[in-house]
Amino acid sequence: MQIRVLFFGQLQEITGVTQEDAELSEGARVDDLFERYGRRFPKLAEFRGSVATAVNQEYADWRTKLAPGDEVAFLPPVSGG
Amino acid sequence: MAVADDVFLLVRERIEIQALMEKLKAPEDGAAVVFDGFVRNNFKGQQTLYLEYESYEPMAHAKMREIGADIHQKFPVHRVAIVHRLGRLEIGETSVVIAVTSPHRAAAFEACRYAIDALKRVVPIWKKEYFAGGAVWAEGEKSWQKANLRRNESTS
Repeated sequence: MQIRVLFFGQLQEITGVTQEDAELSEGARVDDLFERYGRRFPKLAEFRGSVATAVNQEYADWRTKLAPGDEVAFLPPVSGG
Repeated sequence: MAVADDVFLLVRERIEIQALMEKLKAPEDGAAVVFDGFVRNNFKGQQTLYLEYESYEPMAHAKMREIGADIHQKFPVHRVAIVHRLGRLEIGETSVVIAVTSPHRAAAFEACRYAIDALKRVVPIWKKEYFAGGAVWAEGEKSWQKANLRRNESTS
């Protein structure tokens, strides 16, 4: 299934990815997607403890199961204001 | 509730507070509280040159609306405005404005405080600080999970 993936802030700088599509097998979770990027960008994996995730623009759990067409965003700690 | 008159905006140009207030102030209200957050010239002893803000805009907009809806549930206020600027900001320029109008001041003060605190916890916006020697991403808040849990408790 195809998933849209977005990175923001520092995570975008580490990966060089703003957004792209990823192909995942059925039943994959947010965690699986992050792990895949962690293998591609080892530095990204070091940030896992501070990363928040969103699925379809709502905060989500690492265990959230993905569905085809989902939009997954990896967010560093927010610092607006 | 006059939720339709609320204002939630992400903008790239200067925030005109006075124009915003003219839109928000209704004759039946007697109070408006405004929080004006602007760019500080220093961070941990270093002199800041300028800031850059970026956002996950559709989600940020949705979260700002949620904060507005929460406020109408929690406080007897009339209108809520949350406006955040993105892109490059110079020292002294306004990055965020929260404005709340209400028939009475107490609720407006409380709602304004609630809104800026919630914004800093949950709205996906990031700030990068530029110094003479380089740039750093602001450390940010990791307490969004707690904020989210509280939100779920209060709405369930």
